Amino acid sequence: MYGGGNVFEATKFDDLQTEDPAKLAEFEARIARGEKIEPTDWMPELYRKQLIRMIEQHAHSEIIGALPEGTWITRAPGFRRKMAQMAKVQDEVGHAQLLYSAAETLGKSREQMLTDLINGKSKYSNVFNYPAFTWADSNIISWLIDAGAIVNQMANAKGSYGPYSRALERICAEEAFHLKYGHDAVVHMATGTPKQREMIQAALNRWWPPIMTFFGPSDKMSTHTETLMRWKVKMASNDECRQQFLDMYVPKIWELGLTVPDSKLKKNMETGQWKYTEPDWDEFKRVINGDGPCNAERLAVRRTAEERGAWVRRALLNPKAKYVRPLA
Amino acid sequence: MSLTSLDPRVTRLNLPEGEVPAMEPKPVLDQFETYEAFHQKKEGAAYTYVGPVHAPNEDVAFLFAKEQYSRRFACTGLWIARTENIQLTVYGNDGENVYDALRFQEPIERSEQPEAYEIFHLKKRGKAHTHAGRVAATSYLEALQEAKQAFGDKGPIVNVWVVKSKDVLQSAEEDKDMWTTIPEKKYREAIAYKVMDKITKYKEENKPTTAQ
Amino acid sequence: MNELAIKDLLYKLADDQLILGHRNSEWTGFGPILEEDIAFSSMAQDKIGHSLAFYTLLQELGEAEPDTVAFTRNANQFHNSQLVELPNGEYDFSLIRHFLYDNAEIIRFEMLSQSSYEPIAKVAIKLKGEVKYHVLHANTWIKNLGASTEEAILRLQSSLNEALPYALGMFEQSTYEQELIDAGIYAGEEAVKAEWLKRIQAVIEKTELKLPDLASIEPKFGGRYGKHTEHLQPLLDEMAEVFKIDPTAEW
Repeated sequence: MYGGGNVFEATKFDDLQTEDPAKLAEFEARIARGEKIEPTDWMPELYRKQLIRMIEQHAHSEIIGALPEGTWITRAPGFRRKMAQMAKVQDEVGHAQLLYSAAETLGKSREQMLTDLINGKSKYSNVFNYPAFTWADSNIISWLIDAGAIVNQMANAKGSYGPYSRALERICAEEAFHLKYGHDAVVHMATGTPKQREMIQAALNRWWPPIMTFFGPSDKMSTHTETLMRWKVKMASNDECRQQFLDMYVPKIWELGLTVPDSKLKKNMETGQWKYTEPDWDEFKRVINGDGPCNAERLAVRRTAEERGAWVRRALLNPKAKYVRPLA
Repeated sequence: MSLTSLDPRVTRLNLPEGEVPAMEPKPVLDQFETYEAFHQKKEGAAYTYVGPVHAPNEDVAFLFAKEQYSRRFACTGLWIARTENIQLTVYGNDGENVYDALRFQEPIERSEQPEAYEIFHLKKRGKAHTHAGRVAATSYLEALQEAKQAFGDKGPIVNVWVVKSKDVLQSAEEDKDMWTTIPEKKYREAIAYKVMDKITKYKEENKPTTAQ
Repeated sequence: MNELAIKDLLYKLADDQLILGHRNSEWTGFGPILEEDIAFSSMAQDKIGHSLAFYTLLQELGEAEPDTVAFTRNANQFHNSQLVELPNGEYDFSLIRHFLYDNAEIIRFEMLSQSSYEPIAKVAIKLKGEVKYHVLHANTWIKNLGASTEEAILRLQSSLNEALPYALGMFEQSTYEQELIDAGIYAGEEAVKAEWLKRIQAVIEKTELKLPDLASIEPKFGGRYGKHTEHLQPLLDEMAEVFKIDPTAEW
């Protein structure tokens, strides 16, 4: 589960000057022909760095994203929900594993990535810094956050880096179930008893502002962004993803008689574009930089899991082993 | 004081509350080395690459790969090979055959007797390597040469992986029952969730009343 | 065949799996390495799936539907062994419990797949392959960690010592024990225990762990008759928390 936001800013853009022009031309021609880049190919440093950053953040978002819904694993009501909730959260951990592996092929080890996550050096999707107060919150996450993630991931699956595309294809195939499961659970609540309806509307109200920030602020179109788009690292702008999400899901929310807590939300029938209240980007920045309701807990849980599992890893460490990057 | 969470599981972890110093960077190999996994989707199909796992040895790698790569889709078998034991060619352009570009030199190391090697082909960039077959050779390079002769003329091949058969852990015939119930786990299939009836019924019952 | 005897057997099978499945599911997101997190979660799902299969057989015998049976009874109505309700502790304890439990579970499934009671036999045959993985998982880990560092061996040994009285409690005999054996439903708890002992010994011998003298251990009985530790009821309350918000609702 992953959106945009906080991914593409701040890398010096003069790196390209130092790249070998012939190799760069060959690399760009390959992408222009629609071919994928594979791990042992030559690639510009900027491409490598941005991909590591993006895939790593995506991986962190999956492993941390397992926590808000994990909150409800033991309490999921009834067999059907319980098993699905477990499988869904398990998938998120599985996706983290796939994505860390894809990032590793570019040269950053999983050890380094986990260290950077726990020490707050690299980020994850900001929405997971918000709590899942009730079972209904978990349903809203399963449906709408996953829906947003799928919009983003479907676009990125068409990107140029082979291992990332392969991982995303698998992830999208698995997440088809998440989306349907989430929708099913929300529909049961929305068409259920008054208490259930009240719970699901309250959860939607809580989650709507974070959802609107899920794709990140409007992109600043710089040479940098244009290059990354040409290299098929960035596949769609944050606003495009947000519009697509609204277009696909607002009608599905409305048909259940639920309301979206944004009085400005409306589709302009002429342009096909949705109007909405601009999300609170100051809060977004504040939370992503550590000051959100759950940041500390999320990282503490991850850290504890790593620390309490350390004896297992120490015990089985093979002193003769040699680290080799995964092949693809 | 320990942390009280909305998640009862987290509360039971008794996490310390408050500021903690930064974690020491994880040591090298804290996450173990990597193994590559290949699965067989159905009886008789070629084994296909699914991805790596981190594990301390191949037995544990098998346990891990079985759940990471074969829990969601049909599977009849699983192969595991240590990443370090797989040798690969350069990547060619899509549509070309990488065997044509290989210049074969005398290998530096040879075994005395020929051994079996497994050969995997990548047909297009971005896709997954699939098992092309097995050859006998005294070195990786010779195995590659043998592979070129045996199955190197089958259309575009952009990359080749070579691994000694003895370095591949293969699931046994009698392990197959570990996968028999996968298709029955409907709760993790999108198709198990059908809500149109509920939505239609809801809309029927809540039609906006027309002004009289 | 005495239906009460069959029901009693089904309840203890299903309740064990339901409770252990919940305990194992607590590991999702907190495991020692990502891959193990995934494996543990799969096994937790399998266990809960197995309990559902057995509750469904109970329903066919006239008991209430699985959701009601699983999520509305109180601790004193549960037939699980005390072993499965204990808190997870650290990974060593969860692993040892998994090892001790699943090595018994596979024997039950092997016996039940030959049962004269066909509905049970069918379920056991179908699900046996899953339990086979659970045992492979447990035994591989015990063999690996049990022959590794002093730290790991010490942890496992102390968890083994702690868990064994409860593990022996799994074999508490039913009121209907002889009837079940005579009717060919399965060979009974004594037989399961004897075979279990052989199997766990075979694994432990490959490690530096030591199996204490079982004769000197007082088994923790009572679970099969509704007597539980203080840990079960809070877990049941947690499992039913959402359910109870609105008992008339369809979730």
